[in-house]
Amino acid sequence: MANITFASVNVGDAMPTFTSDPVTRTHMVRYAGASGDFNPLHHDETFVKMFGMPRVISHGMLIMGITGRAITEWIEDKSLRKFSVRFAGMTEPVDLHDFENTKQRATITVTGKVVEKFEEAGEKRIRCEIQAADGLGAVKINGSFVAALP
Amino acid sequence: MADKTKLGMEFPPYTFEVEKGKIAEFAMAVSQKESKDQVKAIYWDSAAAKAAGYGDVVPSPTFQTCFALWGGGGLMPILQTLSINLGRLLHGEEEYEYLAPIHPGDVMTGKSKVVSMYDKEKKDKPGKFMEFTVLETEIRNQRGELVIRSRSTLVER
Repeated sequence: MANITFASVNVGDAMPTFTSDPVTRTHMVRYAGASGDFNPLHHDETFVKMFGMPRVISHGMLIMGITGRAITEWIEDKSLRKFSVRFAGMTEPVDLHDFENTKQRATITVTGKVVEKFEEAGEKRIRCEIQAADGLGAVKINGSFVAALP
Repeated sequence: MADKTKLGMEFPPYTFEVEKGKIAEFAMAVSQKESKDQVKAIYWDSAAAKAAGYGDVVPSPTFQTCFALWGGGGLMPILQTLSINLGRLLHGEEEYEYLAPIHPGDVMTGKSKVVSMYDKEKKDKPGKFMEFTVLETEIRNQRGELVIRSRSTLVER
């Protein structure tokens, strides 16, 4: 991780683009267990078919978690002061028997840029806008975070 | 349909003890990894975390979602209390403010309150409304320090 300082960051700078692995049902099951969110929408295909959905969908919070990872690959975890997202779309996992045709919808790319530099609570802080979208361009998350930098 | 008379109601507090293994498990899950040595060492190795300037291992940014789900009996009792239909539920927004560090052994207490309930007309279906319920949660550690303030927006489509 680069040592990012307040002085070295400018409004308009992009954060490094982060790309996830294609989200699999196994990733979603692991996330269900880790988080405690066992809504069957996220793992039981016989449940979602009752609502006319073709397949399970990812936890929005897994996509927020992936977005959080993208942020903390760039800034240190202890720098994070605020992190907020608006969920804009659902994410379907990759179908392993049809991997090449379905991997893009399950691959999350996180981009962001610095929109503000300011002082607050005696700290030098930056605000960044972030977006998570899949490989087809469908937006999953619009959000922002605030980090305190040395 | 959300029960609008629940605006302002406070849910019973829940507690959650932060375990080192849970922090690593959660970091692996959001990192799509199968073993902890594939995620940052600050999520599982106390010595590495201390060398990086942390008091001990720390959780990844969205870890506090576990507190209510594992410590608070999950989402279902909240939905039942508010008369929100699981089949129509969407997670609209989630927001965290990080006010103090979290380490293994901390005992977190969360208190949630319904701070806003409102309807918005659907753009594509005039006369039909989406219903929004906003929950604000304050999470304190065993020393009474405010650690996380969060806001969750639940949407019924």
